[in-house]
Amino acid sequence: MEHSEDRSQHSPSSEDPETSIEHDQLLPELVAHLRDSRTELRQEWANRITEASLLSSMTPQEVFSEATTVYDNYVGVLETGSVEALQKYAQDLSERIIPRGVETHEVLGIVLFLRDVLARSLFEKYHKDFSLLNRILDAYEPAANRIANTVAVSFVQERERVIRQQQDAIRELSTPVLQVRERLLILPIIGVLDTQRAQQLTQQLLSAIRRHRAKVVVVDITGVADVDVAAATHLVQTVDASRLMGAGIIITGLSSEIAQTLVHIGVDLSKMNTVGDLQGGIEEAERLLGFAVRRVADGDRQPD
Amino acid sequence: MGIEALADRQLTGGLAELPALIRRVVASRIRDANAIDDLVQETLARVMTAQARLDDSALAPYAVVVARNLLSAQWRQDVRFKQHAHRLIDLTDASRPEDQVLQREESRAVASALAQLPEGERQTLIAHEVEGQATSDLAAKSGSTAGAVAAQLHRTRAKLRVEYLLALERTRLPTERCRPVLLSLSGGERRRQRELDAAGHLLECPECAGLSGPLLDRLDGHPEGEEAIIAVRSDRDVVRARQRGREIAAQIDFSSTDLTLIATAISEVVRNIVRFADHGQLRVRVIEDAARRGLLIVARDVGPGIPDVDRALRDGYSTYGGLGIGLPGVRRLMDEFSIASELGKGTTITMAKWVHA
Amino acid sequence: MATVNQTEQAHQISVSILRQGAYLIASIHAALDDEELGRFQRDLIRQITKSRSRGVIIDVGALDVLDSFGSCTLRNLALMARLQGAVTVIVGIQPDVAFAMVHLGIHLEDVHTALGLEEGLARLDELTGAGGARSARGSA
Repeated sequence: MEHSEDRSQHSPSSEDPETSIEHDQLLPELVAHLRDSRTELRQEWANRITEASLLSSMTPQEVFSEATTVYDNYVGVLETGSVEALQKYAQDLSERIIPRGVETHEVLGIVLFLRDVLARSLFEKYHKDFSLLNRILDAYEPAANRIANTVAVSFVQERERVIRQQQDAIRELSTPVLQVRERLLILPIIGVLDTQRAQQLTQQLLSAIRRHRAKVVVVDITGVADVDVAAATHLVQTVDASRLMGAGIIITGLSSEIAQTLVHIGVDLSKMNTVGDLQGGIEEAERLLGFAVRRVADGDRQPD
Repeated sequence: MGIEALADRQLTGGLAELPALIRRVVASRIRDANAIDDLVQETLARVMTAQARLDDSALAPYAVVVARNLLSAQWRQDVRFKQHAHRLIDLTDASRPEDQVLQREESRAVASALAQLPEGERQTLIAHEVEGQATSDLAAKSGSTAGAVAAQLHRTRAKLRVEYLLALERTRLPTERCRPVLLSLSGGERRRQRELDAAGHLLECPECAGLSGPLLDRLDGHPEGEEAIIAVRSDRDVVRARQRGREIAAQIDFSSTDLTLIATAISEVVRNIVRFADHGQLRVRVIEDAARRGLLIVARDVGPGIPDVDRALRDGYSTYGGLGIGLPGVRRLMDEFSIASELGKGTTITMAKWVHA
Repeated sequence: MATVNQTEQAHQISVSILRQGAYLIASIHAALDDEELGRFQRDLIRQITKSRSRGVIIDVGALDVLDSFGSCTLRNLALMARLQGAVTVIVGIQPDVAFAMVHLGIHLEDVHTALGLEEGLARLDELTGAGGARSARGSA
């Protein structure tokens, strides 16, 4: 990937060395024009994006603010010929918008819109001098295509990375259920808790409860960043199902975000046994068990 | 994988929007509110039957086509088409003595359809369907495998259904695209349907739209699959029905958890029949599409119907003096769930669960 | 454990009710239809009254489905037992069954549960006070 970008970066000049002098004069002219018309072109571009219903998951203010940065980066690439800064920005932008469901075609669409808006403005400015227009467009188009390519590639790469990350999250499903002592299990959940994983965790935990004859389970969710409604529902269902089997669940490391999600889906938090951190959770569990263990121990001594 | 699976689930979830769409289509053509309800339900039932054979993107267009077909069938009082539709699955059931003309017409269509098949395929089909030779024997003869023969037979049957319908209706197909589209529908090949944009074609081509109904709306979706039909009359049938359902489900790779969810769902819907309706029936069978296998459960009753289906699907609405769980809970147990109810006549609940990889 | 009284009805293979000290242990061995479930409910309440039990264990470990009707019956049983002065603990709900129950929306919030018979007896001891524990476990 890097290799091909490198080559395309130099292609306009290496392809046609004769006109490279001309490029040197034309590009500053072009850049100056795009800087002068920044306000109106940027606005027109943002309008086209809205009209085409692209980036519909973002607010108009967000679209406008991103559009401004892309525009300035765009002109910067034309000026310096280096896509490095744009690449960084595109990567950062992708990181922010992928979780919001922005699709590849949208990103490609907005960059191509910008290319068209700028090309049309160049056409309007230079259409009287046809040969100058042609030379301007010759200079502009390869650079514009390179920019579109850079943004698209950054986006796709970032998307692939996100997908890989999610797959890893799914793969590390085999979270161990740890037995700390008799009748006490600990289930540390780390990473992304999506619906599929939550469901599998529930089933794993329920069978572990039976296998280890557990009476108390400490579910530690300190390592869980955030949960969606479906995963939160699963968490609650796990607590309920465990209780039906006769095991109590103590939840530790409940972040305020997750607590809010739980309240949002109508969970009565006062009915859930939550303790601040894992250590406190284990102490609470032992307190619950200690009571039972002493009594059973007493009883066991009697008959034999 | 995870993301695709999620996207897939969202698409099938789109089924929930079909009733509103169908209602718009129907209501734009007729006024009578009862007739609209009837047609919406009828359409939904047919789409559900065909669902396993259709690409998800084709569901909405197919629903529109079915609704249009039903509307025009209602104008023409055209029941003849329907009679042929179930003959399609059974070549040996050749006679209905009360209608000799119809029979002659059908024989002609079958003969003509068979003549359209390549020689080899025709012989294999006849050997299997008429002479009753097993796929393994046929495979041994041709030096192939039983699976390959079964797959070929599946394609041949799909072709035969198309040719039979064309011959019966004496239809000329207007475009080059028609035949491949019809074949992909008949064979339930979802990927091919996508490639051909079968959904788009159905909306444009009245001939194909007319034929799509009989091709998709048939009850033998999975010819190899056994369908269990359990009559429901008393509370004893609740236990019997869920045990039978679990047995059928256990034939494919459901996890033990899924088997329990399925048995529980069956228990709930069958108990509803026992409690509220006079009698009813439960049908359970394995279904399959290109990507996955699953279990289709259809519970029908003859009873008072549900006055407000939307309300019955909300949590907290008690269907009887019990815990107030009822249908919303059942819906959570299954992957797909739809309900059609008609006051004074009865209720049909169609639900499915897929084997998750 | 001695059999106090097995029900005379035909469904005696499906259910059994045993007395152990101050407790009754009722086990459901096979899926019951509604009528059998109703009969089980009546028999158990009669036994509680007759034996003046302080605690009841209902072992549902053999059931592969607990639907809303079955759960509702268990819950009513527990409530009726309480009116007779007995605490009820339901034991043996299988993992898959528990999973299906919560999906269905059944929580049995006002019913005590335990993993198995042993745990159920310990739970009854806790709930009824130490006296029951000694006598019940002593006879084991």
